[in-house]
Amino acid sequence: MGAKMQTNKTDGKFTVPIGPQHPALKEPAFFSINVDGEIVTNAYVRLGYAHRGIEKAAEDRNWVQTLYLLERICGICSHIHSTAYCLGVEKLAGMEVPPRAQAIRVLVAELERIHSHLLWLGVASHEAGFDTLFMYSWRDRETVMDILEGLTGNRVNYSANLLGGVKYDIDSAQADSIRQGLEFLQERLNYYLGIVTSDALFLKRTRGIGRMTRNQAEVLGAVGPTARASNVARDIRIEAPYSAYEHFHVSIILETNGDLEARFVVRIKEMLESCRLINEILDSLPEGELVMRMKRRINPGETVVRVEAPRGELFYFIKSNGTDKPERIKVRTPTICNMSSVVKLAIGSQLADVPVILAGIDPCFSCNDRSVHIDHRSSKTCRWTWEELRKYGIRYYNGDHS
Amino acid sequence: MKIGAMFTDVVSSLFKKPVTEKYPHERYEVPKRFRGRLDWNAENCTGCGICAMDCPANAIEMIVIDKKEKRFVLQYHIDRCTFCAQCVHSCNHGCLVMRADDWELAALNRKFYTKWFGELSDVEYVLAESA
Amino acid sequence: MEIIRNLFVLLIFPGGLFLLAAGMFYEWVDRKLLSQYQNRIGPRWFQPLADAVKLLANEEVIPEGSNPTLFIVLPVVALAGGITAALYVPMAGFPPAFSFAGDLIVTIYLLSLLTLCMGLAGANTMNRFSLVGATRTLTQLFSYEAPFLLALLGPALAAGSWQISEISAYTTQRWLLFTQPLGFIVALIGLMGKLELPPFDAPEAETEIVAGALTEYSGRGLALFRLGKGVEMVVGLTLIAVFYLGGVSNPLYFLLKTLALLLVVAGLQALLARLRIDQTVGLWWRYGVLLVLVQWLFMIGGRMVL
Repeated sequence: MGAKMQTNKTDGKFTVPIGPQHPALKEPAFFSINVDGEIVTNAYVRLGYAHRGIEKAAEDRNWVQTLYLLERICGICSHIHSTAYCLGVEKLAGMEVPPRAQAIRVLVAELERIHSHLLWLGVASHEAGFDTLFMYSWRDRETVMDILEGLTGNRVNYSANLLGGVKYDIDSAQADSIRQGLEFLQERLNYYLGIVTSDALFLKRTRGIGRMTRNQAEVLGAVGPTARASNVARDIRIEAPYSAYEHFHVSIILETNGDLEARFVVRIKEMLESCRLINEILDSLPEGELVMRMKRRINPGETVVRVEAPRGELFYFIKSNGTDKPERIKVRTPTICNMSSVVKLAIGSQLADVPVILAGIDPCFSCNDRSVHIDHRSSKTCRWTWEELRKYGIRYYNGDHS
Repeated sequence: MKIGAMFTDVVSSLFKKPVTEKYPHERYEVPKRFRGRLDWNAENCTGCGICAMDCPANAIEMIVIDKKEKRFVLQYHIDRCTFCAQCVHSCNHGCLVMRADDWELAALNRKFYTKWFGELSDVEYVLAESA
Repeated sequence: MEIIRNLFVLLIFPGGLFLLAAGMFYEWVDRKLLSQYQNRIGPRWFQPLADAVKLLANEEVIPEGSNPTLFIVLPVVALAGGITAALYVPMAGFPPAFSFAGDLIVTIYLLSLLTLCMGLAGANTMNRFSLVGATRTLTQLFSYEAPFLLALLGPALAAGSWQISEISAYTTQRWLLFTQPLGFIVALIGLMGKLELPPFDAPEAETEIVAGALTEYSGRGLALFRLGKGVEMVVGLTLIAVFYLGGVSNPLYFLLKTLALLLVVAGLQALLARLRIDQTVGLWWRYGVLLVLVQWLFMIGGRMVL
């Protein structure tokens, strides 16, 4: 016979690996789940499979080229990444963007939020086994993508921002088609809200699963709709309004239960709120130009930008040294903050609930980048801290290539 | 709590046409602003090269044969282009435009993806120089 | 003469080629109906055939740590069980090829043999996913088998016999759908559990355990298991059509009745979300058994009164 059957048994529990390739994940990540029967006893997460060295690549490109590089960190939150970068660079250069451009930026950002949440609705219901809701919500997502295609020219990666403004204008014909599309969407969203809160079998998979109390959410540092579903009132658009959010107000959506059903409800209600906000912007779009001329060399300095991506708080640190290339750009995406809550909530639940809990935080793995140091000679792997990386870099550039 | 809350929608779908677009037998119209392949109009070009400097993918190369006589050749790599339209807005003279009617850019050989814009004699001059 | 007739029955009709073709046809109808409910275009008519041909052309990889003989033999036994079960059922409107007293039990046992073989195939390998999938398959087998069996025995009790041909003769005159509605519901939903269709597809939940018990299979073994599932669907639908929908006396009725049942089954697949394995077991052992026992109570009570 061949090798004896060996399972990784430690105290009678065994390990189910989810990832790096798994049908539950849209992007690679590694979750190692110890199960005892069907109950999860331990969970361990390891990321970094989608690391592409973007922050380093940004140092070789000039300010205009970096805009498009950073837009491609993520496919569905591309506009908010480029908006955050533009806000930071414009702050460093001391430029004020015209109000019409700010309003159009916010309009595209809210359309992107609707797009992202509809995509998430489909994916999360697919993970729970409800394929019909997946197909229907993605069919309705085509409406948003058609609106964005008519407005900006592309269905994802809209490239609507320029340093100093936006590229595209909205005329009245387009505004009418946007309003029509939004009317259709609002009707469908109300229908989905009804289904998510009343379908008996779907509620069996989502009510009471992955419950996170308010205290836990604050301690684990959850952000975005995941935190708002646990009654933590954090929304950058309201606490620290940026761009046109100072004129167009957003109301906060909170739920108290903290389980998966609450996360569904929060995201659908946020979509309805975005529809209302877009209609308001279309009704009172300020007049003005679309773009300000920007200089090619940005003044030296450092700045910090916080915006509300569809998944939570997105944080940018931009440092300039007066040349036409950025010196350092640091991106901290919201999924990293929510990841620790997945690991904590998975313990004690059933194996079948782990993919749904993971989908509940709306993970965007291509946004997470961390690097792993692999030592060829000792074949050990460990995670480097910033200090160790700095020391290694100093040794390397001093000629010590060991 | 209902069992089968999507009942009316699901059953009425039996009688509706599927929403799938049967590409390539049926094609929907693309909007006017769709960003397809780049096109260069040499009339107003001054050879400043800002489009080449600002391209995030280094897809445009501006080759200046004679600046005073305005003999320029533009080499455009379709396979590197990300269709972001930054060059269109960087150009101060409106020489570049992204065509909404040419977006099916699949090809069977590599040569299709390098496009030369300019007067024919200029292009031949450049190709002869580099050979 | 006997040998030629038996060979014909085993290889061409109603076993063998006809059954495999019918299995592929019904799989296609199921997928096409499901896609129509979801408002999209489904696969073309030759998709299951193309799948089977492609899988047979693939290389079969036998993973390390599994018993190679079992690995190769289990799919064959599963398909053989499915085909044998079809020999006792009135397929396509013609009387069953073989018939003897008590063949209802044999048919049901042969259908369970298929699920059992899938569970064993999953337990045979070292892969974590197939072990979890095998556990779930066997747990689910344990949960729906009792109510499903009792629901099929209801018409047998009414007909006073355990032989499928006699039950078929009894039900051709009356539609038991109206006199035993609860039993019909349990039988139809039990068939969905047996075939591992949503909402009972926890054993092969794609987003949790890749492919469940069949994760390590590729090539010929996977093709045989999938054909076996198609055959199981045909046999199961025919049984329910015979017992509850007034028998299948000619090919047209067979086609119409089984396709009507498939319409309802595909609709239930589209409408309901997946249940976790513990929720499935709880559902069956609480409501399934309760419903079928209530049905039996009415039936026996009705017989005693009338």
